[in-house]
Amino acid sequence: MLHRGLIISVVAAGLFVASCGQEELPPPPVEEGPNQDSIDAARRAAEEAARRAAEEEARRAAALEAAREALTAMVFFDFDMAEIRSDAEGVLQRKVDVLRASPAVQLRIEGHADERGSSEYNLALGSRRAEAVRQFFVNAGLAQSRFDVRSYGEEQPREMGSNEQSWAQNRRDEFVITAGGNQIQVPGGGQ
Amino acid sequence: MRKGVRTANQVRQVSRGGPGRALGGATALLLILLSATAGRAAAQVDTIPGAVRHLGVVYESYVPTLAISPFTGRFGGLTVAPRVEAVIARDLRYSDRFEMMDSIPLAPGGGGVDYGLWDQFGADWLVTGQVEGLGNRFVLVLELHDVVFSEVKERARFSLPRPDAEDFRMAIHAISDDVVRWITGEPGMAASRICFSMESAAGSQELYVVDSDGENLRRLTNFNSLTMSCSWSPDGSRLAFLSFASGDPAIHEMEIATRQTRVLDFNRTGQPMTPVYHPNGEEIIFSLADGAESGLFSWRVREDCCLWRLTAGRWNDLSPSFSPDGRRLAFNSNRLGVAIPQIYVMPAESGGRPDLVSPYLYGQGGYYTSPDWAPSGDRVAFHGRYRRGSYHILIADVAAQGQRLLQLTYEGNNEDPSWAPDGRHLVFVGERDWGFGLFVVDTVSGRIRPVLSGVRPRVPDWSPNLASTEAPTREN
Repeated sequence: MLHRGLIISVVAAGLFVASCGQEELPPPPVEEGPNQDSIDAARRAAEEAARRAAEEEARRAAALEAAREALTAMVFFDFDMAEIRSDAEGVLQRKVDVLRASPAVQLRIEGHADERGSSEYNLALGSRRAEAVRQFFVNAGLAQSRFDVRSYGEEQPREMGSNEQSWAQNRRDEFVITAGGNQIQVPGGGQ
Repeated sequence: MRKGVRTANQVRQVSRGGPGRALGGATALLLILLSATAGRAAAQVDTIPGAVRHLGVVYESYVPTLAISPFTGRFGGLTVAPRVEAVIARDLRYSDRFEMMDSIPLAPGGGGVDYGLWDQFGADWLVTGQVEGLGNRFVLVLELHDVVFSEVKERARFSLPRPDAEDFRMAIHAISDDVVRWITGEPGMAASRICFSMESAAGSQELYVVDSDGENLRRLTNFNSLTMSCSWSPDGSRLAFLSFASGDPAIHEMEIATRQTRVLDFNRTGQPMTPVYHPNGEEIIFSLADGAESGLFSWRVREDCCLWRLTAGRWNDLSPSFSPDGRRLAFNSNRLGVAIPQIYVMPAESGGRPDLVSPYLYGQGGYYTSPDWAPSGDRVAFHGRYRRGSYHILIADVAAQGQRLLQLTYEGNNEDPSWAPDGRHLVFVGERDWGFGLFVVDTVSGRIRPVLSGVRPRVPDWSPNLASTEAPTREN
């Protein structure tokens, strides 16, 4: 508050100085009718404002899209493991930031496994992977009721290959926004 | 000389001049025994299981030779006779209990049965059949001849469904099972089906069913969502399974005849999976994962009530399978460590301590899942691997607590065994160089045959016997 008041007074002082300086110049020629320059200037100002608004809108949309992408970004797991990998922590922390800023948003966490091992055991493994991420969110202070977990086991691979590259892509959690998708707030974007 | 007390196969063996003839049919099986000292065997790697010795014990059993004389027809029955004969011949071959002589172009000796001639051919048993037209239906008169003793052992009349009826083949399968029972006194498995899940042409995973001989592949569901882990009710009329058809994962139950399906609502959070019927047909046992905990629960399907917890813990208990008397339960659990699931057996009433039946050795790893309790005998089939080896089908002797295992596969990867109603065969999913398929292994001879190939089946479950002959009129 104090800062803002100070800024306003400084700006006001500057304007005063500027206008004082202008008064020393010779008076502009008086013309009948509208001043073409000032019309152009107004139009330019309006265009500039519109451009700025559009830019601002685009920036906000991009930030919103980034927040949405942060929410749905996948995390990956090691073979037969449900522990959160260190490279997944950053991805999950960004989700936490968006979720904190967007209390209306609810997520479904879908656990998946690669094709190795038995179909039924991999259902359980996928469910552990989904649960591990829900625990991460709960530990970060988010309400458990905002998250629905389920497992598709090995039945819905992203990559069809039978090699480590494909398997690594298939050992994952996916995220679906189930509520509040139109009420996503960009974290730290309030001012 | 051959008269007198009729004993079983030992007598035949002697009368035929010893086991030499039988050797061809008897396939060697390796009995795997866990070595007494685990540490000594720990150096072995990448075989299943790690700490076992292959003793190379070869079981030879006498396999009788069975001949089928081309079926004849009367009153228009000849139009159907070859079809009936072909189904029975294949069923008896797939029973793996006989050396088959079934491609004989003509009945030797013309009209009557010339036992001397069949004896020279080496047949122990002979099956003859005559199909008689009866209005627009047919009757099969079947005879089982004991060639060694030169006499008719069994004779029966079976009325057949119309040849274009849906249950025509199944009715013949039931007759094949009668022939097996006549000769061996044991149940057959021809009149049964196998349920499994597979990706449909539309790209969703649906339930399918196929007859035990690989015929009649049919799709059961059209849910357009992930559906799997089907389990037959003990009377073969219903299936329980996991499906995401209603959006959330839920256990469903289907009345097969009408395809009518309902969702079982346990009024409980968490994801249910791996349902299986209690042998009484009135309860379903399944795994429920909720939060960090999971456990096995029961639900009374008839009354649609009463969730009851059998196990629970901060691990996964899943894939339950009952002993035939319903008193014990085999299941899979990773309670010893997340990457080393093992097979346990415990009393079906909760509270009992689970015993290991898979070959867990401390610090040695090992991955064993998908147990299925045999319909006869205290044996549990499952699949697993040691360290980073391949997955193979194994059978554990429950009483030996992981100390005695039989390994049935040695090629590719092999998963999800399920017992046939004869207690002798297992169906499983096999992966070979050329792709995936559904295979059947005879646990006595070790013989393996594909049922379906070129498809990617998942989690098969073999049905109980689905048809029996209606009190055939015996005529001997």
